[in-house]
Amino acid sequence: MAASPALESSASLDSPPSLELSDSFEEFRRAASIDAITRLAREVLLDPTYPTVRAWTRAGRGAVGCFPVYTPQELIHSMGLLPVSLHGGGESVEISHADAPLGSFLCSISKSTLELAMTGLMAPFRAFVFPYICDVSRNLEGIFSRAVPNATTHMLHLPQNFQSKASVPFLVAEYRRLIAKLEKAGGEPYRPERLVESIELFNRQRAEIAQLTATQRAEPGKLTLTESYLIRRLGGLLPREVHLELLGRVRKELGARPNRRKDAIRVLLVGSFCEQPTLDLIDLIEQVGCYVVDDELLQLHRWYDRVEPSGDPLENLAATYVRSPVDIGVRAAPTTKAAAIRQRVDAADAQGVIFLTAKFCEPALEDVVLYRKALDERKIPYLHLEFEERSAAYEQSRLQLETFVESILFD
Amino acid sequence: MAAAKPEPAFLTTARDRQREMVEQYYSDLASAGGPKRPVAYMLVGGNLTEIVRSFGFEVVFPEIVALNCAIKHVSLPNILHAESQGYGLDVCGYVKNDLGLQELGGQTPFGRIPPPDLLVCSFSGCYVYVKWWEALAEKYGCPLFMLDVPYMRDAEPQAEDIQYLVTQLNEFIALLEKITGRSFDLAELRKTLARSRKAEQGWVDYLASGKHRPSPIEAYFEAVFYMFPINVLRGTDVAADFYATVNEEVRARIAEGHYPVPEEKFRLVVEGVPPYPSYRTFWDFFRKWGAVSVAATYPKVGGLFDRGFLHDPARPLESIAEYSLGAYVNQSWPLRRQIIGEYIRDFEADAVLIHGIKSCRSFTAGQGDLRDRLIHDHGIPTLYIESDHEDPRYFAPAQIKNRMDAFFESLDRRRGSVPLPVVNA
Ligand code: SF4
Ligand code: SF4
Repeated sequence: MAASPALESSASLDSPPSLELSDSFEEFRRAASIDAITRLAREVLLDPTYPTVRAWTRAGRGAVGCFPVYTPQELIHSMGLLPVSLHGGGESVEISHADAPLGSFLCSISKSTLELAMTGLMAPFRAFVFPYICDVSRNLEGIFSRAVPNATTHMLHLPQNFQSKASVPFLVAEYRRLIAKLEKAGGEPYRPERLVESIELFNRQRAEIAQLTATQRAEPGKLTLTESYLIRRLGGLLPREVHLELLGRVRKELGARPNRRKDAIRVLLVGSFCEQPTLDLIDLIEQVGCYVVDDELLQLHRWYDRVEPSGDPLENLAATYVRSPVDIGVRAAPTTKAAAIRQRVDAADAQGVIFLTAKFCEPALEDVVLYRKALDERKIPYLHLEFEERSAAYEQSRLQLETFVESILFD
Repeated sequence: MAAAKPEPAFLTTARDRQREMVEQYYSDLASAGGPKRPVAYMLVGGNLTEIVRSFGFEVVFPEIVALNCAIKHVSLPNILHAESQGYGLDVCGYVKNDLGLQELGGQTPFGRIPPPDLLVCSFSGCYVYVKWWEALAEKYGCPLFMLDVPYMRDAEPQAEDIQYLVTQLNEFIALLEKITGRSFDLAELRKTLARSRKAEQGWVDYLASGKHRPSPIEAYFEAVFYMFPINVLRGTDVAADFYATVNEEVRARIAEGHYPVPEEKFRLVVEGVPPYPSYRTFWDFFRKWGAVSVAATYPKVGGLFDRGFLHDPARPLESIAEYSLGAYVNQSWPLRRQIIGEYIRDFEADAVLIHGIKSCRSFTAGQGDLRDRLIHDHGIPTLYIESDHEDPRYFAPAQIKNRMDAFFESLDRRRGSVPLPVVNA
């Protein structure tokens, strides 16, 4: 079927693009404090024109948009391309074109991602990878090419059978299909030694992020969830080298920060592994008196601790994914959902669970039913909130959260 | 103007035979369970019925149970029960019907559905399958085998996909041997696949007859009834014989000039799952306009036999692997568009009707894009209607009828002025 050009209008944006970053990302290299870093991160997130991608591609370099939840970003990086974690349009994109081609009863991230493409805001990308995490992400890839006729799109089939001895070889073959597409899209030819370098770089990034989340869990008075979230979110938007430097500065500052304890409950935040809640909602969870000691936000850097760089790097990358213990709504459970949620509550020493799920996200919603049953049996309190990218029910969420916190505090 | 409303025409002997087969199937199920005849649950797309039956299992297809519940107007209580357990409005109606029914004890008007001893998840084109089977495994604590079927992005199966699937099939067979204590009999499987092939050829012949003008078959509403053996009873003589009966009757229809729509005015390609709770009503909206479905995508959910695939006893596991890749919803959107385009061309269709399902993203997400492409890029009249396959609350008859009347009216007006499109959508 012949492709038609992307619609030109960017009328669906609430505010015009504003943030111009330098090609070398000096702004981030100079941001010396967590405050400065998170301020910049907020600006980046509120600008739907992908300022980091524009800065990167201005110098003729290529960027690849990666739909959640998992893509082998090390591999993309090794081919000289910037892997960019896509997280929809956030609060600043109103849907006016994407409803009709996609249909109703669908999560906001699928619609806003298509909207951004249809309004030309994804033009700086050379390619897009959609992992098969659900039927929506899979189908989105199938109609995306029309909105971005000059870009390459690829649907990556991540294995769902984690027991088979053929899963790793299959995933290696999948990665080879991706390599072939990326090479055609202007990526440098695949070279195993380059992949080893990228794996080592990403291993360092993961280790820093693991330390950040460990601090969040052990000393929750040291940094807020919003800070942790914004710092992690930059990890999928900036060149990884820039992010790694920044994480080093964050670590040093956190080492010197006091652990300001407050009267708060320890909670697990479950369900937002793909579409992301608004920053206001993330803020609100802490404002009302929760320490989020474990969460599913931005899983990408937390699928595994490290990938073994020696040996066949492509095989190692595939094997590490297949053996990852991550158990979220879009990865078939290695154990039962009941066992998984109880184990996580125990490991995080959580007092309750907040299910924060995107509206119409069927994989998350179906898990919640099983989780709730398991928590009921153990009398562990929980709260279920649904959100959309442009959520209007903020006051209602505040009330529900406050009631939930009070019920635990005064139990 | 609209013709008087005739009664829907079915193939007489075949329809009676189909009824008997369904009754027999559910009565066999009702007496299954226990040590002698263990029960396996399977999904229609990419199902492994030949292998599972060869180990002595009875097979339940909860999707088929769900559609039978919907068509008999008993799905709503099951759905409401699942909703009371926490399953939201937007969760697939098949899932809610099944999980609600399971909680309520499994009793249906056509017999009791026994609980599973084994769950076989052929993850072929729908991620909800994975969630659904996880929920069943959680409830029953029985083994769950995940057959991970790669999504079809190329027109032909790739060697690495086949290799992946064949290894998994061997692992599945080893699991069945362990569970049942029986040995796998390859020679028997080959014989079973030969019977499957015979049934598949009969089914393909039936579907191809929609190319006749006027069409001797209704390839959506009527074909749905004849899908049962190809999905559920494949590998049996009963299924193979059934399609021989069907095709004999189709030939008689042609010979006698007795067509499902007596005065064929519009030839349609239909995309999407039917609104089972309002099946007859929806069908009536077509028939009153002399509209007949000459080809449809939904009857291919179990496999794209009409596009050249048949099980091959000489390559048993490889051909089962190829089969599992061929569920319609396991085809990427570019492939789906190609299939629909070829149906429009080969079956000389005048228009396309898309029925979107609110609670099924696998089929539905992107159907709006298909509609736009057909209309704007190819000039093919296309109507998009939305309701649900299970939940009667989503079928708004007056609104749907108005839209369909307006569509057929405009089609009537356009008749003759639009050249037949040649499409590779
Ligand atoms: S939010 Fe949920 S339904 Fe939507 S794309 Fe992500 S995983 Fe799929
Ligand atoms: S394909 Fe659609 S109707 Fe079938 S199980 Fe999946 S979501 Fe439900």
